[in-house]
Amino acid sequence: MRLFVIIISAALIQVTTAFAHPEFQRYSKEVSGRSVNCAVCHRHSDGPEGLKPGQIGSLDQDELNALGLARQALKPGAGAQSPILNEFGNSILNQLGKEKISELKQRPELLAGSLSKTSDLDGDGIPDVEEFKDGTHPLNSLDGHPWKLFKNNLGKNWFDILMIVLATGSGLYGLQNMLLWLSLKAHREE
Amino acid sequence: MSKQKNGFLKIIDFFSERIPFYNLNFEHMVTEKEVPVHRMSWAYYTGGLTLLFFLIQLVTGVFLLFYYQPTVSDAHASVEYITFFVKSGFLIRNLHTWSSSCMILCLLVHLITSFAMKAFARPREITWISGAMLLMITFAFGFTGYLLPWHQIAVNATKVVLQSIEEAGHYLPGALAALPSYIKEIIQGEVSVGQATLSRFYALHVVILPLLFMGVIGLHLLMVQLHGMSKGVDEPAKKSEKFFPFFILKDFWLWGVVFLIVFILALCLPFESFYSYPLFEAYDALGSTPDGIKPEWYFYFVYYPLEILPFWVVMLGMTVAGAGIFFVPWIFKNTSRKVLSIIAWIMAAYLIVITLFGQLIYEMFKGPK
Repeated sequence: MRLFVIIISAALIQVTTAFAHPEFQRYSKEVSGRSVNCAVCHRHSDGPEGLKPGQIGSLDQDELNALGLARQALKPGAGAQSPILNEFGNSILNQLGKEKISELKQRPELLAGSLSKTSDLDGDGIPDVEEFKDGTHPLNSLDGHPWKLFKNNLGKNWFDILMIVLATGSGLYGLQNMLLWLSLKAHREE
Repeated sequence: MSKQKNGFLKIIDFFSERIPFYNLNFEHMVTEKEVPVHRMSWAYYTGGLTLLFFLIQLVTGVFLLFYYQPTVSDAHASVEYITFFVKSGFLIRNLHTWSSSCMILCLLVHLITSFAMKAFARPREITWISGAMLLMITFAFGFTGYLLPWHQIAVNATKVVLQSIEEAGHYLPGALAALPSYIKEIIQGEVSVGQATLSRFYALHVVILPLLFMGVIGLHLLMVQLHGMSKGVDEPAKKSEKFFPFFILKDFWLWGVVFLIVFILALCLPFESFYSYPLFEAYDALGSTPDGIKPEWYFYFVYYPLEILPFWVVMLGMTVAGAGIFFVPWIFKNTSRKVLSIIAWIMAAYLIVITLFGQLIYEMFKGPK
């Protein structure tokens, strides 16, 4: 009986930890110097284990079925949608497949090189692989390397900037003329 | 009786010299007002810039109020909603964040330059004291506003600050030892940082502090207009310019340029991108606390010394400095501008070094964090 409990517990631990890959999180943290948590690939920032939303313990039957299918996605392009992974995590799973991901656990520095260089899931202009190396969130358009974000947004918003420059300049020009006129009027009255 | 009369007359004299109501006319305050032109003239604009940033805070703050929900369950979600779903919500929020930092920066520069220029000298004591009050209110704005988004860094940093207040009790004698705990409870409103704290900080941030600020800034500006610009330098100014319209015009043009810079920053550079993203996840009392919990940069001058030096040394230093700032006009009454400039440079150097290199200094003393 005792042996049975031990085997079951070990199997459960194996199941719940099998899909957490902290090696990639650690690598991202090391190269970027930023604090990175499991939310980079997972739906919950504390990882897949637990009872909170996005963790294994919270899944309903349909989600458990989807998780089962995702676990069988050994090769790339399986179109799996794991309920414990976010869009970026699922994108890695579908681009590489579980076999390759397991291989890369030993060499996490090769992950970025294995992923698409153009995919930009949050549309902030910084490719997901760069965000992975920068330690920023690939699904948050407001999180990114500050200089890269500034450059990209400047290019994107040039028309708004031009308009606000024109509006401010015109407003100040009008204000200047109004103040000068008021000043002249005051002098004349004196 | 005559002694009493003397004392009363002295008080009347004191206030009539400090609050010269006879100058309360349009000619003195506007058309005839002159601004000295000298090597420190640029410092006259720092106060106006602080006012500009306060106005931006006021306008953007009102827009944010339309959507923000001050409850622990909804605060973070409402901020996310403003940022990602409300049209121009991101711009308004980022403008609010950027201009809050700019306001504090300008206020500090204004304070330091006014100190170096001896702008607190008789009869401008009330101008200085009201300015020091504005500094304290602005720091209170920063502290209370930091908690409102209810994310990890907000709640945890607030907890750290409130803990520090309580810790001060260990160094106080007798019945006074309970006072910091009592103050902490009043601020916190419950056993830990929670809904009561958020409600209090919200009320302070959006009602009490803005009203206080507007009252004190009204007094400050009135004093500046009644007394005119301070001389600023020892040597007599060779030139001066009319306050109206020339100085005002330059002020407005500067406002325009600075507004454009801050607008472009707010549009293109999310303030939060300088920090790690886990710090901005919704606060979860049961979840793990991310690395890098710190107060905003403008509190580094007290945060890093607290991390490095014994608590009582820093608290004593800050209490003396905080109280001393109100007595500057009397403490430095006979100090020359040259000496004041040296002190101002030392203050500025301390603030710059501890803000930019505080982390490095911390690691030098305590190892990597």
